[in-house]
This record gives sequence, C-alpha cells and structure tokens, in this order.
Amino acid sequence: MNEPAPPQDASRFNRAWRVFATGFSFACFGLGAVLMGFTLWPLLRLTAPDRRRGIARVQRAVSRSMAVFVWLMKSLGLLTYEVRGRDKLLVPGQFIVANHPTLIDVVFLVSLVPEVDCIVKQALWRHPFLRWPVVWAGYISNATGEGLVAACAAALGAGRSLVVFPEGTRTRPAEPLNLQRGAAQIALAARRELRPVTITCEPITLFKGNPWWRVPPRRPHWVIAVGEPLGLDGYLNEAPPLAARHLTQALTQWFDVSIAQQLGEMRPQTRPGG
Amino acid sequence: MQSTQEIFEQLRSVLQELFEIEPGKVTLDAHLYNDLEIDSIDTIDLILRLKELTGRKIQPDQFRNVRTVGDAVAAIRELVNTPAAA
Repeated sequence: MNEPAPPQDASRFNRAWRVFATGFSFACFGLGAVLMGFTLWPLLRLTAPDRRRGIARVQRAVSRSMAVFVWLMKSLGLLTYEVRGRDKLLVPGQFIVANHPTLIDVVFLVSLVPEVDCIVKQALWRHPFLRWPVVWAGYISNATGEGLVAACAAALGAGRSLVVFPEGTRTRPAEPLNLQRGAAQIALAARRELRPVTITCEPITLFKGNPWWRVPPRRPHWVIAVGEPLGLDGYLNEAPPLAARHLTQALTQWFDVSIAQQLGEMRPQTRPGG
Repeated sequence: MQSTQEIFEQLRSVLQELFEIEPGKVTLDAHLYNDLEIDSIDTIDLILRLKELTGRKIQPDQFRNVRTVGDAVAAIRELVNTPAAA
C-alpha cells in the first residue's frame, strides 16, 4: 500500500542555518524591543489624550511589531504556520484562552489581535528586553492576587480583549495539561464565555527547557486554531469555588481533545493491515 | 470549648463541601496551596464559610500566616475559644 513517507529530517546545512537565523531573530527582537521602548512606544503614550487611548495605540504598535517578527522568522525559513478562524478574535471583548506549548505563542496571538491585554508574570517587569513592551502596552501583572480577577473582569466588561494562558507557564512535554483556575475565575466573574485557541507545533520546539539553539530536526509548523466559545451555562448556578473547578476541568478536556486532533493531522498516520 | 480533633474534622468536611477536596488528602501537615490547591480566592470563600459556622467575625489577617491545615485548625481554635467581644 502507498503510505505517505514520513517527513525527512533537514540537512546539516539547513539546521546550521536555522541555528544562526534563530539567534539573529531573537537578537532583532531584543534590539527592537529596546529601540521601540525608548522611542515610539513612550511617544505614543505621552501624546495620547488619556491613558486608555495611549495604551490602545501602543498595543496596536506592539501587535504590528509581532506580525513583523513572525514574518521575519518565516522569511528566514525558520517556521511555517497557519491560522484558522482569525476573524473570531477580532470581535471586541474576547476572553482568549490558549494552551502554551512554545516560547513564541504569545507573539503569534498578539500579532493576530490588534488591541489586547495580556496577563504577564511579575518577573518580566525586571526582564531587560521584555519589560519595555510589557510596561508601555499596559499589560496586567499576575501578582495582584484577588484583585487580578476583578481587574480582568472589568477589562472584559469594558469591551477589551484579554489573552490568558491558563497553564500559567509552558506545557511540560509528555505531561498532562495542568490548568490553573484563574481563567475560569475570570470568566465567571465577568460572565464572559471563554474563546479557546489551540496552538500546536510540530516538530515541537522552544518548549520549556529547550534552548533556542537546539533547533528541531526539520522546520517546525505552527497551527493556531480559534475554537468555538465555551459557554458558562450551568456553571453560573454553582457556588463559585466549585464552578471554577468544574469549568477548569471542562476546559482541560476541551484542550486535550483539540490538541490531539490538531497533532493527529500533522503526524503521519499508520494504517492497520494492508 | 471545641477540641482540636473536632475542629479538624469539621474543617475537613468544609473543605470537601466547598472545594470537593478528598477527605483522605486533608492531614494536619497538608499545605493549603501546594497540596490542596486552595488559592487566595478560595481562601475568601473559606473564611466566609468559617464565619457562618463559628458565628465569629474573622479578619483576613488572622488567616494571613495560615499555610497548612494544622495552622488553620489552630487559628480557628483560638477564635472559637475566645469569648466573643461584648
């Protein structure tokens, strides 16, 4: 029987090129962040009529920079990608929750949504390069405890979109998904359905513990698929601590299924028999 | 006066009722956050429930240093065994 041949690993030259190009791209990212962080982004904030509009302008600029960065990596032959259902993200007030297999997931997401708030770990405010976009784009720190849920619910209520990675960190390879309850707590507090986005990367790269120079055996392909919303029916009638737990379990199952489906498309199937 | 054992058992059933935590996991050493996954938002709901059960006002700072189930039992014991303010 004719089965599709498994994808071939790339040549040594191709891999060497991708190591160089990855380093180059990351250097551009850092340099760009510092340059913009001292020029365009503060200018946009300081010339804006109020804080909200200043933040909106910087978020749009950051989104465009992320799109340029994705274009750079693609042009250098570092990756390919496809986005399914992008339009669904462009409706205001989307509560976007995504799984988090790789380092650059947030780059893809922010490139797709012109104005979006992100919850970001507190440590990034001290990061030499990432602090610039994080500060000027008015991202939300994860360190604020119960106030965080209220702040995010208020942002969604005001018609702003929000991106959250419920795992809180990159997925550990070969380990089951471990979603924190924060996303469910925000959804319930804001009474806003969840918009799940499934991100897969094959062959996997830039995962937790994977240094940037350890490029995968061949050029990786990202699929970013925007799913149908997860509604809150039923959960709103439960006591909040239980509702958050049950909704998180439902979201975990949803991602388990969608990730398996998406990866299944990209891996060669072995057919039984002849 | 309530004994530590009584308070512990009541707390265990509250944890099961509020958070669906298996009673088997609730030991005096169990860390509320690391072992039982009770986060800061859950703590607010827990304190509310304890207020209802003890009939006492509870300030969130009284629970600020509570890390384990044992700490919580000790904090509750101090609360219920103190006469209510006039």
